[in-house]
Amino acid sequence: MIREKHPKPEPIAANLTPMIDVVFLLIVFFVLVSQIVEVENADLDLPRPQDPASVGPPEQARIVINVLPGSGGDVSGYRMGTRRYVADTAGLHALSTSLATMYRDNPALGVNLRADRRTDYRWVEPVFEAVSAAARLSGREDVHGRVNLVVVREP
Amino acid sequence: MTLPARRGRRRMARLGLNLTSMIDVVFLLLVYFMAVTEFKPGEEVYRLDLPQRGGTPDPFELPLDPIRITVTSVATGDYVLHLAGPPGAGPRPATFRQLVRFLSGNLRRDRAAGGLFEADHPIIIEPTGRTSWAHAMGAFNAVVRARYTNITFASP
Repeated sequence: MIREKHPKPEPIAANLTPMIDVVFLLIVFFVLVSQIVEVENADLDLPRPQDPASVGPPEQARIVINVLPGSGGDVSGYRMGTRRYVADTAGLHALSTSLATMYRDNPALGVNLRADRRTDYRWVEPVFEAVSAAARLSGREDVHGRVNLVVVREP
Repeated sequence: MTLPARRGRRRMARLGLNLTSMIDVVFLLLVYFMAVTEFKPGEEVYRLDLPQRGGTPDPFELPLDPIRITVTSVATGDYVLHLAGPPGAGPRPATFRQLVRFLSGNLRRDRAAGGLFEADHPIIIEPTGRTSWAHAMGAFNAVVRARYTNITFASP
């Protein structure tokens, strides 16, 4: 009688190398992205208007200007992108100059303005002036002084 | 003469998909996103066109008397509204909701219907220096909600 030969069971092994590769890539990616987002958007308590008529953020290249709150409605400075500016005439002029350079490269650049709900208006309005000045300084006819005022929509 | 059949022919390897690593990665992603997700309300924007400072006004343009909305924050955390400019129909608003009603009621939607102001009638929001940004934005939101388009913020 011929005995049927059973094949030897193959050893079970998980190849971990590609998984570890992918996991490390994901970790590096998310760490970098989360840092960029945190730097761009300061942790602010934004205005929450009743019955808001706001719209979703436009899909365009944009730079974010954060009005950094201080105590009692004052501010501790302004931040555009990753760069910080002092809240005085010289600081605002530096902000305008930087923004004008960006406008020269991209006239359609949007400016998102984020300010804390408790911040006094006297610290927010100079940013409007700075953006208008940047549009002028850029020397381009196709740059319009325009800001997107950022609020939070309550669910 | 025929050749003898090959005995030691190896079996063809079976095609199979190893799902283990994929499931591992999926679970890791799931855990990651559950850990980092913050249920924050979404941010939205209002578009504000800034006036061209220092520009020369059009000599042929008839100047319109703008509606001026002064908003002041008071110590209790509340606000006070004051309207100046051309008189509109209806009681003067004291809250943002009343402001929406007042402005909507005076908006001229078409020629036949009443209404005193066109949608592009200039509206100037005048917060004081000490007015909180939340109250300034409350007034701005009321004007946008009433469908006016020519809105500016005044210097404090």
